[in-house]
Amino acid sequence: MKSLNKDTVISVILIAVTAIFFMETFNIPKFDYASIGSEVWPRIILVPLLVLCVIYFFQALRQKAAAEGRAVGIGATVMRYRNPIMGFLVFLAFLATVDYLGMLIGGVLLTFGLLTALGNRTPKALLLHVVISIVAVGTVWSLFTFVLRVYMPEGEILHLY
Amino acid sequence: MFVENIIAASTAVFAWHNLILMLIGVLFGIIAGAIPGFTVTMAVVLTLPFTFGMPPVAGLSTMLGVYVGGLSGGLISGMLMGIPGTPASVATTFDGFPAVRNGKAGLALGLGIWASFFGGLFGACVLATLAPTIASIGLEFEPWALFSLIIFALTITASLAGDNLVKGLIAGNFGLLFAAIGAEEINSVDRLHFGIESLKGGFAYLPVLIGLFAFSQLLTDVEDPDVARSPLMDKTASAVKIEHWNAIKALGRSWVNVLRSSLIGVFIGVLPAAGSSISNILAYDQAKKASKNPERFGTGEIDGIIAPEAANNATAGGALTTMMALGIPGSPLCAIMLGALLIHNVVPSPLFISEQPVLAYSIFTAFFIAHFMMIAMQAVALKAFISITRIPMYTMAAVILVYCAIGTFALANSEFDMWTLFWFGLLGYLMKKFGFPLAPVILGVVLGDLAELNLNRAWTINPSVSPFFTQPWSLFFLLLAAFSTVFPWYQKHRGRQVWTLLFIPAMLIAQSIPLFMMGNVVRAAIGAAMVAIALWLLWRSHQSGWTPDSTQASQPKVHIEPA
Repeated sequence: MKSLNKDTVISVILIAVTAIFFMETFNIPKFDYASIGSEVWPRIILVPLLVLCVIYFFQALRQKAAAEGRAVGIGATVMRYRNPIMGFLVFLAFLATVDYLGMLIGGVLLTFGLLTALGNRTPKALLLHVVISIVAVGTVWSLFTFVLRVYMPEGEILHLY
Repeated sequence: MFVENIIAASTAVFAWHNLILMLIGVLFGIIAGAIPGFTVTMAVVLTLPFTFGMPPVAGLSTMLGVYVGGLSGGLISGMLMGIPGTPASVATTFDGFPAVRNGKAGLALGLGIWASFFGGLFGACVLATLAPTIASIGLEFEPWALFSLIIFALTITASLAGDNLVKGLIAGNFGLLFAAIGAEEINSVDRLHFGIESLKGGFAYLPVLIGLFAFSQLLTDVEDPDVARSPLMDKTASAVKIEHWNAIKALGRSWVNVLRSSLIGVFIGVLPAAGSSISNILAYDQAKKASKNPERFGTGEIDGIIAPEAANNATAGGALTTMMALGIPGSPLCAIMLGALLIHNVVPSPLFISEQPVLAYSIFTAFFIAHFMMIAMQAVALKAFISITRIPMYTMAAVILVYCAIGTFALANSEFDMWTLFWFGLLGYLMKKFGFPLAPVILGVVLGDLAELNLNRAWTINPSVSPFFTQPWSLFFLLLAAFSTVFPWYQKHRGRQVWTLLFIPAMLIAQSIPLFMMGNVVRAAIGAAMVAIALWLLWRSHQSGWTPDSTQASQPKVHIEPA
């Protein structure tokens, strides 16, 4: 079976996303008093968007021949983009736990996690990462909290405010 | 009135605490701009939360300091390392780096710095003189024209995205779609939220911008583990002495190049969303074409250093002009500045300059002063830059990423904004990987609400599409939008296919029609001049037997990236 090139896959995904959004416009409440209903503007965007995605799909199909033979396995792709993937995952973990850990602890752990995921993991490097994390986040957190009076998420562990 | 406004603005800008903040901003901007991968946009984004508590003049002056410093800082790494600090300094490396390798580091840096200075001053003068005029023209725009102007802004952004016009247009439409999610202003209806409670408020556009540009860029920078773990510059690099006087003398000899490049920069800046990442390359190309010694370009030629640096700083003046006069950001970076203005309860529009003249002229003045500060801070920044570049990229990326998160939260004390940052960071990263330009998304997000509002107003006044084609300004922008859509094909086939000989004349004649419709003698005269130029071009093509000029076939490709 011939494999699809990435543009073809993306164009199909975009067509699907556009179609889903278009379906959602039917859930927008309508009011008689409105000169233009709230669903009109999204449809004005979505119709040309759908046309463009279809054009992109056909453009991608035409490129298919040139792209064949360059397929890369999932494992190789993950290894190639290991750093960005780790970065996104560590950030996602930070967002998922910030309500519990708070911005200060969460921020320090996020920085440490990113430094360790992206950088060296020797004992000396780990110690350096700890220091950088505490100093960098602690300074900015203090600046926002005590100088700019922006209260960051406190979390469940430290009760600072 | 002009003098009174300047005096009142100067009083605010020259307050000592304001000057100190600006100096810090300029220094931070230069250092940030000098670090490859750390864009000016990121620097401005990181500064934004710190300006919340400041009065508008102080906050905006600081950000302008970062902006100007950042544009100039890109030349340092471009010359010393051969890696442009920002996309605005790409062309600077073409001759700046060879000049440094030829042992002329001091002169090369001096040329870059002073060319930036003069280009920036030129942009500042244009900003102060042209913005009020454009704003007064902007007052003529009715809802049809404002809607068409936004369409033009989106199409030209997409068309300048290089070969991928369709991808650019898709990106622009998705930007509009993201702006449409959540509470709709006119009828107060929540829409496109798929039943998700937090989406009912929609996306705040600054977290979207930070995610698309800063977050995605940082993770792109650390993609290669070996590069991420290495210092940006080796330990043998050391600070050089900038040759200011020799550079000024060289600039005096190349004043035509300075002027031409500054004009190119301002013109590109005035165009919606076309930033300094384009102007520096175009100015370099024009300088090469105009040179008596084009073969020297790429080997450390003085004019090759002057042109991009004069152009990229002048672009900032042009971009700010469009933003302040019409409320349309002239570059992705200006979209952030627009957000900063909104945070300080300032809404740029054609009425802005007349309603808040002191603040508007404070921006002009601060932009002007920032260039003098940039000159003063270069030597300090150069030493700081040399030290900073010994830090591995991954360390900077990790710390900046956390600062982005904290800064994004601080924008509105909203955790949802941090999620927005994450999702749009992921989206921005994937878009880059799959060849979609980011600038059209930004424009779409920033201008989406404005487009809908004006469409609604237009339809309420007259429920018909005909005014979009019969109102002169609306027709003017729609025609520009149509021609800018075709522009990528024109650029691709210019010098090869016969139809390209008709493109510019057709555009000039078409654009003259709305000018004639405006019923103004000056504009009619401009229209007549455009028709005359079009006829002359046609006559010239006829004389040459409709043979395309093959020397125009190879032009540098331009792509919009965060500036």
